[in-house]
Amino acid sequence: MSETNLHPVLGATRRHFLQGCGLGLANMFLAEAQTGSSARLPAAKAKSVIYLHMAGSPSQLELFDYKPELIKFNGKPCPDELLKGKRFAFIKGVPKMLGTPYQFKQHGQSGTWLSELLPHFSEVVDDVTLVHSMTTDQFNHAPAQLFVQTGNPRFGYASLGAWATYGLGTENQDLPGFVVLTSGGNNPDGGKSLWGSGFLPSVHQGVHCRSQGDPVLFLSEPEGMTRGLRRKTLDALRDLNALEQKQQGDPEIEARMAQYELAYRM
Amino acid sequence: MRLLFAPLLALTLHAQSASYQNDVRPLLSRRCLACHGPDAQSRQAGLRLDTRDGALPVLSPGQSAQSRLLSRVADPKRPMPPTGPRLTAAEQDLLKRWIDDGARYAAHWAYEKPVRPALPVVSNPAWSKHPIDRLILAKLDAQSLAPSPRADPATLARRAALDLTGLPPEPQVLARYLHSPTPASYAKFVDELLASPHFGERWAKIWLDLARYADTQGYEKDNKRSIWPYRDWVIRALNDNLPFDEFTVRQLAGDLLPDPSVDDLIATGFHRNTMTNTEGGTDDEEFRDLAIRDRLATTGQVWMGQTWGCAQCHTHKYDPLSHQEFYQLYAFFNQTEDDDHPSDRPLLKLTSSLSTPVLKELPAAKHRQTRIFDRGNFLTPGEAVQAATPAFLPPLPADAPRNRLGFAKWLTSPENPLVARVTVNRFWSRLMGRGLVETEEDFGTQGSAPTHPELLDWLAVEFADKWDTKALLRSIVTSETYQQSSAVNPSLLQRDPRNQWYARGARFRLDAEVVRDQALASAGLLSRRLYGPPVMPWQPDGVWQVVYNGDAWRTSKGEDRYRRALYTFMRRTSAYPAMTNFDAPTGETCTIRRIRTNTPLQALTTLNDPAFMEAAQKLAQRARAESPRDPLRRLFELVLVRPPSPAELQRLQALWRQAEADFRLQPARAEKLVRYDEVLYSEDRVATILADARTTPPEWRFSTNEPTENWFQSTFDDSNWKSGPGYFGHFEKPSAATPIRSAWTTENLYGRIAFDLPQRLPTNFRLPIRANCSFEIWVNGVPALANSVYERSGHYEYDLTEAGQKAFRPGRNVIAIKATRNNAGNVGQVFDAGLIATAPLDTIRAKQDPGAAAWVVVANTILNLDESLTRR
Repeated sequence: MSETNLHPVLGATRRHFLQGCGLGLANMFLAEAQTGSSARLPAAKAKSVIYLHMAGSPSQLELFDYKPELIKFNGKPCPDELLKGKRFAFIKGVPKMLGTPYQFKQHGQSGTWLSELLPHFSEVVDDVTLVHSMTTDQFNHAPAQLFVQTGNPRFGYASLGAWATYGLGTENQDLPGFVVLTSGGNNPDGGKSLWGSGFLPSVHQGVHCRSQGDPVLFLSEPEGMTRGLRRKTLDALRDLNALEQKQQGDPEIEARMAQYELAYRM
Repeated sequence: MRLLFAPLLALTLHAQSASYQNDVRPLLSRRCLACHGPDAQSRQAGLRLDTRDGALPVLSPGQSAQSRLLSRVADPKRPMPPTGPRLTAAEQDLLKRWIDDGARYAAHWAYEKPVRPALPVVSNPAWSKHPIDRLILAKLDAQSLAPSPRADPATLARRAALDLTGLPPEPQVLARYLHSPTPASYAKFVDELLASPHFGERWAKIWLDLARYADTQGYEKDNKRSIWPYRDWVIRALNDNLPFDEFTVRQLAGDLLPDPSVDDLIATGFHRNTMTNTEGGTDDEEFRDLAIRDRLATTGQVWMGQTWGCAQCHTHKYDPLSHQEFYQLYAFFNQTEDDDHPSDRPLLKLTSSLSTPVLKELPAAKHRQTRIFDRGNFLTPGEAVQAATPAFLPPLPADAPRNRLGFAKWLTSPENPLVARVTVNRFWSRLMGRGLVETEEDFGTQGSAPTHPELLDWLAVEFADKWDTKALLRSIVTSETYQQSSAVNPSLLQRDPRNQWYARGARFRLDAEVVRDQALASAGLLSRRLYGPPVMPWQPDGVWQVVYNGDAWRTSKGEDRYRRALYTFMRRTSAYPAMTNFDAPTGETCTIRRIRTNTPLQALTTLNDPAFMEAAQKLAQRARAESPRDPLRRLFELVLVRPPSPAELQRLQALWRQAEADFRLQPARAEKLVRYDEVLYSEDRVATILADARTTPPEWRFSTNEPTENWFQSTFDDSNWKSGPGYFGHFEKPSAATPIRSAWTTENLYGRIAFDLPQRLPTNFRLPIRANCSFEIWVNGVPALANSVYERSGHYEYDLTEAGQKAFRPGRNVIAIKATRNNAGNVGQVFDAGLIATAPLDTIRAKQDPGAAAWVVVANTILNLDESLTRR
């Protein structure tokens, strides 16, 4: 049976999911909605997704990606077959190979290979899924980060979180559906596009919570205003907008007022 | 009765004929062509359904009972299409009727040359003297809808001014029109708006979305780029009403014109807005190739509403553009000198300190060979191709040069079916809230069909006659259709919720730039200066977190804080928050149409963004100065260009009383609102406490030997340390710009300096530091900063930790530093530090006025009314 004859969601492999991002995911959700076939899927248990992107973390080769062959080649010139037809940042001529200096052992019932640098992690590794098959030919920070987050090394595409809110929406009445926390002094190399909405409406972009100042820009009242006084201005806005609504009849007016109330609750 | 009748009529018509153009092609395109379309590579079972010849084997025209297409679609076990929902009964019936009718195909409407339509007979000739109105009314008649009355003059004046200049109307111009609001004086009012220099600014911003304009190079480093002379060129071209065909040719190929002027060269900046990747280790050819593809895709989108980018990896799935034709088009753009170099060369030198990126054609001997890239990968070049236009469009004239100039002239030739339609549709959309073709970005078979094909063609034919942009805009803005009231009643709302038949005027949220500019203009803050380098109005700290280079957002001085939003510095990876929140694009890719959203972030912006709060402060100040007896009425009129109703006055007066009572209880807060700008622009109060080495640095005590343990405490006795000013360090090659005044050649440098602070302490202490080493700072013995960033270019202002900030005290203070070289390199080492802080607000002027503060709150509220944020 070819893949395409499967159920639109079950039949989509991870490769389809990431490669065909484009509108593919949206189509999947739409197809789902139209056929009403969600009964055929296991009931969803996940309520939210937490996704950590750790730019500048230690190499997986020192932590959980055991490469015994590489250790054998430690200090030796890189074999031709690995260099042929490939491109790398900064590397010219034939570089030397660098294997990990740390000891790896198998842990847990799953027998997962982990390095000695992860003593606690090695005790809980049976509760963790490690995906070892993800690769990319992007060798520079910014495009590689964009690739991980948007499925495309170029700017202008929607990030994973934007797709999730576009496809699934949010049940949270008091917070935006897609929230981004950054730590450290700098934004990641790929910039704010890593949580951007690309060609999707900008309502789906991640709301960036900052580690200094207001967590969300413009969240706090301006100097001199208070929350009590803000409530009074919102009440006045509601009454005046209601007059406008009565005269103009445009439902957008109510929609705007609802956003002001959400802003107040935030 | 009427409500019931219309759907019935539609249903009867439906049963009679199935339109290939309107119904069948969209269905095939949506559900079938991905596997049975133009792309031979991915075509399944050798069957294509986009041409009649290709589909004949499964069609059986006239005999739907025999049709394999229908039987496969209806197959209970293995239905086509194999993925997604089954075709509905209505969709299957549509195909059946179409096949029984003979399965007639037609060329896609957008690829046929537009023809001036005959004007239909309509129900109300008096309303529809203007051809636009005739064509609109014909559709309204068909829907049994009637147009709305004309909007009242004040509403109309605000609408036209915001649409045409992006600003509220100027008081004198408005007064002249409102004095006698006749159709003739309205036409004159419109002419004044079109003649305003602010017209060019407004419509330039619209064009710059398409041009993916920004003031930086993009990607990781996102360094600055001086391409604003191109932005200024667009403003001037629009103000001068440069005919659209020339506007096109100069931007795509100004450098290839005979004897090009400096302006013609600057105009080619359009395609130098592609990004440049200067991250270490990148392959310049890879990113040059990406820039060329971007130019081609952008050109296809902007001028022809074509999604050509799809064909870079494979033949287009839906539209008639093959993989090979993509690279034939690519060949037109592939002969320019630019090569993803960090300098953005080639540059045009404008003054001794200003050069701007331009297009420059390679000499013939150096022309590149264009090849088809297999799957779009530039590392797998295939067959060589020559520059050529695609087969589905009119041919390039035999004598036309095979370069960008030939291509640009071909675009605007009378034979091209798309350019005028796509362009007028965009203009229409900006004025009416939605395009006649809603998918402005896609006039291909996946795009939506025009609601008013005849009107679209009429506008296109009119426009292409002289390519006169202002005449086109005038023609739309003076139509009765445009001038209708936007108020809607429930029955009309139900009949036409999206206003696609235009039985009322358009009502939509203002663009991001207009939201800001309107607030500044009504407050009397807006600078009317045109042109020039980008400016940096107030933005929250920390929005620019720039990797690797020391670029910082330094708030502009004076009127540059209040320039129109289009002059705000646009950094691609770090956009100005108030703009992004209101859906302005970042310039990373061409944006044909902004999708308007409605989010809490927008509310937070206009309620709390200090830039908007300052506008409220100045708006209140202005209204009180201009109308001391009735500031409320003036406040309202300054923003909304109409007098408030009694109910509105009453509600706002009540709010003022509430706020005033509130401020009486806490007068210190009143002061903060009344002096909001002084609080906000604290950088105006920045004082140097310790000069750094760029000016006249003081003497530090320093040691290059390991000191005793408590060396960083304020009580430590450093009298036997050496004494000297910055810079500290040594260089292999001494530099005049960075003079070493105190030698430091060892691994560690220890420094101390004592200074006095006044009784009223400054706040927000920062250290401008130049270093290529790691360092630690103590304030009066308290650890205040540890930094491990290896190097930033020039002095960079470091913030202290909270504990460090709190460690300063009136009287004597001591700062201690330790710089560590970390055994790095031998080219040299350098360290220098100064100290700056914000002086406290001057108290002499303090005047706590609860009433004045309450007016600021009322102004902030008025700026947040739905009507203020809307053009109606």
